[in-house]
Amino acid sequence: MTNLFSDPERALLDAILAELIPANPDRRIPNASEAETADYLANQALANAGFQEQIRAFLSRAQSLAGEVNTDFVRQLETELPEEFSAVLTETYKGYYSRPDIRAKVGVGAHPIHPDGYPVARETPEFMDQLTAPVRARGPIYRDPTGPGGLNNGK
Amino acid sequence: MANEPVDVLIVGAGASGAAIAWSLLETRMRILCLEQGDHLADKDFPSRREDYELARYGEFSCDPNVRNLKQDYPINSKDSCITPVNWNGVGGSTINFLGHWPRLRPSDFRTRSLDGVGEDWPVDYHTLAPFYDMNDAVTGVSGLGGNPAYPDYTPALPPIPIGKLGQTLAKGCNELGWHWWPSDVSILSQDHDGRQKCVNAGTCDLGCAAGAKGGTNFTYWPMLENAGVELRTNSRVREILIDEDTGFATGVLYHGADGQLHEQKAELVIVACNGVGTPRLLLNSKSKLFPDGLANRSGMVGKNLMFHPLTGVSGVFDEPMKGHEGPMACSILSQEFYESDPARGFARGYGLHSGRSTTPMTYALGGYGIDNPIPWGAEHREIMDTVYPYLAGFTVVAEDLPEEHNCVTLDPELTDSDGIPAPKITYKLGDNTRAMLKHGEARAAEILMAAGAKRVLTKGTDDVWWRAGWHQMGTCRMGNDPETSVVNGWGRSHDVKNLFIVDGSIFATAGAVNPTSTIQALALYVGDSIKTNIATLFD
Repeated sequence: MTNLFSDPERALLDAILAELIPANPDRRIPNASEAETADYLANQALANAGFQEQIRAFLSRAQSLAGEVNTDFVRQLETELPEEFSAVLTETYKGYYSRPDIRAKVGVGAHPIHPDGYPVARETPEFMDQLTAPVRARGPIYRDPTGPGGLNNGK
Repeated sequence: MANEPVDVLIVGAGASGAAIAWSLLETRMRILCLEQGDHLADKDFPSRREDYELARYGEFSCDPNVRNLKQDYPINSKDSCITPVNWNGVGGSTINFLGHWPRLRPSDFRTRSLDGVGEDWPVDYHTLAPFYDMNDAVTGVSGLGGNPAYPDYTPALPPIPIGKLGQTLAKGCNELGWHWWPSDVSILSQDHDGRQKCVNAGTCDLGCAAGAKGGTNFTYWPMLENAGVELRTNSRVREILIDEDTGFATGVLYHGADGQLHEQKAELVIVACNGVGTPRLLLNSKSKLFPDGLANRSGMVGKNLMFHPLTGVSGVFDEPMKGHEGPMACSILSQEFYESDPARGFARGYGLHSGRSTTPMTYALGGYGIDNPIPWGAEHREIMDTVYPYLAGFTVVAEDLPEEHNCVTLDPELTDSDGIPAPKITYKLGDNTRAMLKHGEARAAEILMAAGAKRVLTKGTDDVWWRAGWHQMGTCRMGNDPETSVVNGWGRSHDVKNLFIVDGSIFATAGAVNPTSTIQALALYVGDSIKTNIATLFD
């Protein structure tokens, strides 16, 4: 965990993250705060001065807003600081979904994906014959101006 | 610094450079390939990393302006609704392409004669057919024979599984009586030629660490290097040199791995830098003989830029479609609306490509090639839990027509890290293309509903995908008339008789399919023509 943010800043950011990507308790999917996305954002800010400037401006404005962090609070930030908000949102999505455990919870298998990948059964030739039968039954659908049958070859 | 002269100098180690090098191997000429990038080491494929998706937005983005790596050159796309994407390195854009492998169709080579638009090619489908076959054999192609959208041919390997998503969409097409077929792919459905079959990881755009995808880094180049073709990496060509007396190319100037400018002499120069890189190089190769750029007496170098503009339509189904399991771009392809029908209000046609789903991060950020994140908050949760896993969709791939105002020029200010002027793209969608995309969206929605979708999602705007500039064609087009084309019917410059071009820039028209199989078939055809005409090559 990095120390880029003060404790109050971190608490505020976590509250905003929980609004950006809420949890699904029924499926035990954590919100973006519980998934420690703030750590990812801090690392990104440390690596990218431009993003650090944006998230600092974002947090500074958030600190100046009154009231609890809820949807309206975050919507106000989005309206007032569209560029900074967009940058924070993009990095939040990246940080949250780059976690293998999160991918698994939204229906995508755990990783690393190579060399394992996913087992996908190949359709049998009989199944494909059956599925393509209506397509084959129509005959050729191409025009062939330079082929042996000329234009009529495909129609 | 000068190097020992070679017989054949190829600029670019991507799809076409590799193919023509292979074709010319049997001549025993000394072949050198200069490549601005490097080999990609096995450990560097992002698909082996836990956080592999992040690479899609950083060092492995398809967009060189995002990657901004040393070997990349910037592209000014401010005057375009589509930005070119690529990879610079051994394998070129076959490193991060998706391996969809349809051929052009016979009518694609005769659009002027048949439909009164575009240009007829100086070659035809049947001339290229043996070279398609030859290239498929080297590359390893999976698919199903008997596709009624083409003259008969059969891929060597059985099709990749089309999966639940493909089966569902196929049934929708069948319900409407419309064409569909399992996609031909340059992805192995079985272990083949020492390479491992596809593991259905769905990370084709991040380089195939398994080697199942037919990038030339896995197909042609290992053979070529074993056979003695010299591949000089980290070598960026600045300019093609010309003998002002004879009008022949004498070689190139290039920036080497040592940071120095070198001269490399050659008897034959072959340019294989794709539809943006090739006109950039020619336009930057000015001389008294060619003040407007090399091989540009027609004025056509850089003109007639064609992409395949894309838009997408998705359906939400009752059951999970498991769209992330399998190669990204390849499940089924409908060519029901490929040929012209005057009743539709536009010329030529389009394909409906059923890609598979993107991964969660990419979907949340708006989709592949799009920067438009999905909503945040409760709506985000709702979409990711109840929409994303249930999606299947089509990409409408439209045939672009050649228009001179769509072009590649040299940017007056922007340069790469070696100070070489960067390409500037000027491109806008034609009315024909817009009408085609709109028609395609509506037909895709019909299939999705016929397949059982609960609802259909369209983006509701006329915008096309921003990072859709994979297929860069037409900017040095081939033709019989030196007044209106840059190279002849076998890739030789009309103006410089020892200069050949073999990449997508020589396409006369674009068709509505992924071009790589045709690019490589053409390169093999050009190679064959060089061998056939070797005694009188420079006459």
